[in-house]
Amino acid sequence: MRHPWFIRAAQRMNSISFATQVLQFIVTGLTVGAIYAMVAIGFNIIYNVTEIINLAQGEFVMLGGLVMVFMHVSVGLPLVPAFLSTIFLVMLVGIVMDRLGIRTIRKPSVMTLIIATVAVSIIIKGVAMLLWGKSPYDLPAFSGRTPIQLGGVVVQPQYLWVIGFLIVVAVGLTYFFNRTILGKAMRACADNPSAARLVGIDVEKMVLLSFALSAAIGAVAGMTMTPIALMDYDRGAMLAIKGFGAAILGGLGSFPGAILGGLLIGLIESLGAGLLLSGYKDAYALIILLAVLFVRPSGILGNLQVTKFKRF
Amino acid sequence: MLDITKLSVGYGAIAAVKEVSLQVPQGRVVSIIGANGAGKSTLLKAVSGLVKQKSGRILFDGRNISDLPADRIVGLGLSQVAEGRQIFAHMSVADNIQLGAYLYYSRRNRGEIRERIDHVYAMFPILAKRAKQIAGSLSGGEQQMLAIGRALLTRPKLLVLDEPSMGLAPIVVHDIFHTIARLNQDGMTILLVEQNARAALRIADFAYVLETGQVALEGPAAKLINDPKVKAAYLGG
Ligand SMILES: Nc1ncnc2c1ncn2[C@@H]1O[C@H](COP(=O)(O)OP(=O)(O)O)[C@@H](O)[C@H]1O
Ligand SMILES: [Mg+2]
Repeated sequence: MRHPWFIRAAQRMNSISFATQVLQFIVTGLTVGAIYAMVAIGFNIIYNVTEIINLAQGEFVMLGGLVMVFMHVSVGLPLVPAFLSTIFLVMLVGIVMDRLGIRTIRKPSVMTLIIATVAVSIIIKGVAMLLWGKSPYDLPAFSGRTPIQLGGVVVQPQYLWVIGFLIVVAVGLTYFFNRTILGKAMRACADNPSAARLVGIDVEKMVLLSFALSAAIGAVAGMTMTPIALMDYDRGAMLAIKGFGAAILGGLGSFPGAILGGLLIGLIESLGAGLLLSGYKDAYALIILLAVLFVRPSGILGNLQVTKFKRF
Repeated sequence: MLDITKLSVGYGAIAAVKEVSLQVPQGRVVSIIGANGAGKSTLLKAVSGLVKQKSGRILFDGRNISDLPADRIVGLGLSQVAEGRQIFAHMSVADNIQLGAYLYYSRRNRGEIRERIDHVYAMFPILAKRAKQIAGSLSGGEQQMLAIGRALLTRPKLLVLDEPSMGLAPIVVHDIFHTIARLNQDGMTILLVEQNARAALRIADFAYVLETGQVALEGPAAKLINDPKVKAAYLGG
């Protein structure tokens, strides 16, 4: 039996709008996922050099957003100087964290060091609350907020900045770790610290560098996401959980894994919240994470040997 | 070239090395032999700055290196091939070798680095063939060659080897010792620690016998190899 024309038209319209809706969720999901991927990459850099899971990684992101607001909005620096000085300042926080919070521990085991990163994250969060208060801050989008329409799907220009920076970070780090002597030296420290010392690598300097680099990438994530999602002092922990989930999902230590894991978690979250119940947004990703780990304990692109916590 | 005076090293309350004095003259092969647990590796770790000494003095090229960090000591030309084939197992063979040049790696030194790498590949052609492979996939003997090759990239004046023959097949052990002898012929000064006393004494000029952290015996290798006590304890009677 044929429906009357207006019902068929309505059905067609509905199906189009459903498809655009899904596309829209995918676009937002990829953007959120790109942020998670950057956080996951930060986890991996420190993990690869030290085997420490730096649970203050989310605080670097939070600081990136809030320091950028300070530089760009409060001080009034133009975008590029504000961006660079924010990276510099957050890197400094990462360096101070290593010097005061990690290096000073007397009998370091990986476990005590991870707990130290929790302590540092609480301190950073507290200081941020004192400096900025509890209210969220907005940041002007890097190139305006005029949405780009792509066949019914709305793409904010800032989305492209987020994804663009993920690509820059990924390409830059791949080059750094595979092609430069400094990057290789950092990998060597993770691989065999005493052998690294015996070729003249200053392992403590490499650890410091890994914290600085992770902090810088966290800052980039925070600065690019703030115009989309605002930023307040309390966002670090959730970002750290999502980023860590992404790192585990992709395979701890693997950079392609971090990107894959981050994008997947972003997509699952966005599609789950949009198409199913939005209240469980944070649960979907974790359920998928558990399911994947059940089948592949080393994550999608990880290899078990590397993922094993050698020094626990 | 290396002059150790009354060196003591310990782990907590355990004294692993007690007042050891030894010399390695330039151009020579000096060997330290001793049973498992005698303190040989601990002694070498102290020399390389990997563990802190309790007391004593270590002079290298006339310079006191007792309290220098490991990376500075490498920079001065004292390179150690540590016990148990310490390679970067997850990195490629080529990267392992390249990292030997870490301390002087720069565009300016590219020619020299290239030359040294070619020299290592000429010495161990199998490494050239496996340059792109992950180092962890090499056989035991190949890994030991890689560790030696990487050490040669650090511009060593003194090459310190800790049980290079450990766990290797006899034919491979023969190759490794042959390589060490050839390096010495080309002018390298060598400090060789071994449990394989027979092979070590054969290529050494001078040797020390270490027992429970102390020098029990020392003398020209040719003399020690015929010493009844050494024969009984280390050369299987
Ligand atoms: N990291 C360590 N901590 C505590 N004791 C150690 C350590 N390494 C070695 N020792 C002890 O020091 C002594 C000397 O060991 P080592 O130098 O490895 O001897 P060798 O190389 O001659 O076999 C042994 O009794 C060993 O148990
Ligand atoms: Mg030993």
